[in-house]
Amino acid sequence: MNGEQRLTWNPFEMLGFWLIDAWAAVYDFLSLLAQTLMATFTPPFRFNDTLKQFYFVANQSVLIVCFCVTSAAAVTIVESSYHMKLVIQNDSLVPGFAALLILRELGSVVMALLITSRVGAGLAAEVGSMQITEQVDALKMLGINPIRFIVVPRFVACIAAGVVLSVVANLVCLYGAMLVSTWKLGYTPGGFITAMQGFVHFRDLIFAAIKGAAFGSVIPLFSCYFGFRCQSGAEGVGLATTNSVVATSVSVIVIDFCLTYVFTNFY
Amino acid sequence: MRFSFGRDVVLENVSFSVEPGETVVLIGPSGQGKSTLLKLMAGLLSPSRGSVSIEGHDLSKMSSQERETLAKKVGMLFQKNALFDSLTSVENVAFPLREVAGSSVDEGHAIKVAERFLDAVGIAHARDLLPDEISGGMQKRLGIARALALDPQIVFYDDPTAGLDPITSRKIVQLIMDLRDKRKSTVVAVTNDMHRAYQLADRILMVVDKEVIDCGSPAETQAFKDPRVAQFIRGLLDGPLTVQA
Repeated sequence: MNGEQRLTWNPFEMLGFWLIDAWAAVYDFLSLLAQTLMATFTPPFRFNDTLKQFYFVANQSVLIVCFCVTSAAAVTIVESSYHMKLVIQNDSLVPGFAALLILRELGSVVMALLITSRVGAGLAAEVGSMQITEQVDALKMLGINPIRFIVVPRFVACIAAGVVLSVVANLVCLYGAMLVSTWKLGYTPGGFITAMQGFVHFRDLIFAAIKGAAFGSVIPLFSCYFGFRCQSGAEGVGLATTNSVVATSVSVIVIDFCLTYVFTNFY
Repeated sequence: MRFSFGRDVVLENVSFSVEPGETVVLIGPSGQGKSTLLKLMAGLLSPSRGSVSIEGHDLSKMSSQERETLAKKVGMLFQKNALFDSLTSVENVAFPLREVAGSSVDEGHAIKVAERFLDAVGIAHARDLLPDEISGGMQKRLGIARALALDPQIVFYDDPTAGLDPITSRKIVQLIMDLRDKRKSTVVAVTNDMHRAYQLADRILMVVDKEVIDCGSPAETQAFKDPRVAQFIRGLLDGPLTVQA
């Protein structure tokens, strides 16, 4: 329906149009998800494209992710030490609490939000540009399924990169926390690890990896979804990019809450 | 066949056929649905009611495998060329050969075939240039080379001369005609340039007021009685057609 027909001040009509649009958007997203899953598990597989995307997402993001999570770890250590000293007069629990916070939340979520802005935004702009310049139609005319060609390699690569980056980010984050604790709080590395071991377990790292995979899966889905819906013009590409970053960031937070809730049953 | 975007009806009660080997040109005022009709014929859009068939097969009832087979028979030049901007000219033409022909075509062979196509459309020298690095006319030629890479029996051209100077336009249409004659292909083209329409068409259809008017051959079109056709082909300001500036 065109914009002209939507010009109404009748609240019921406005609500009706909003509901129709909302349903169409949800339907389109679920359809994209279903087609992506179907194409992921059926041949032909695009191994080379997937590897190329994995290199782009994982290898080229690892430095920025490590830098940011280490900074976050330093802030966590300094802040928790200050507040613990204020409340319980000592900071002996800092390594344990910091490690818990890093493994269960910080490492994976910061990594996912960074990948959303670095990879997701670029992908939405790329697919949006392809959409408005008819490159997506050109693929269809060649008998190439755009979902198999564009979405699936990025979907698989982002899931794999999410797992790898999540584990790397958490380990680097813990290492950063240990360095800051040694330098600022007077811990020895051995003392930090011993204090940490009372609070965290190997399964925390596994849960972090699962979160990384879940976060990684939504980034290309939302980016491609908004890219395929892109309206013509530079403004359309900008809007698609903004919408994809907002939707992915919100979904990362929501998924984080859901998974954390589920994982608490295993402690 | 009927087609609408939501409640906005674009085409209504449209019915016509194109014979094998025929060249049909779609003309009509801007925004009347010529490109939409071309995309419906190519299977990129689905009609709201009715059907579009190629070689007797209803496009909406085709399986994805049948669609892939059909894709090898159909080529399309898009209005904005739709060239893959991250690939060089030769890679753009080799792309369909590599992707669609798959394992039956090795990389070296695909490149050689692509070079032959670039040569045929007269842009062999632009082999390693990106689409952004070549002129509008060369981009059209590159788009034509890619559209023809799989040796299609049916070719759709969406405004192949848009934005080109008259001499380049004439050369592009001549190229389309030469390739059509060489391959005995069926051609459906959209254009608003009446000189090029007369040069290219066996039959002219006009898309206006949601319907398609069969104007016949170029000679018959020039003598056609419908005032909308008469106004459009002569470019007159006065008449039943309203001009969207």
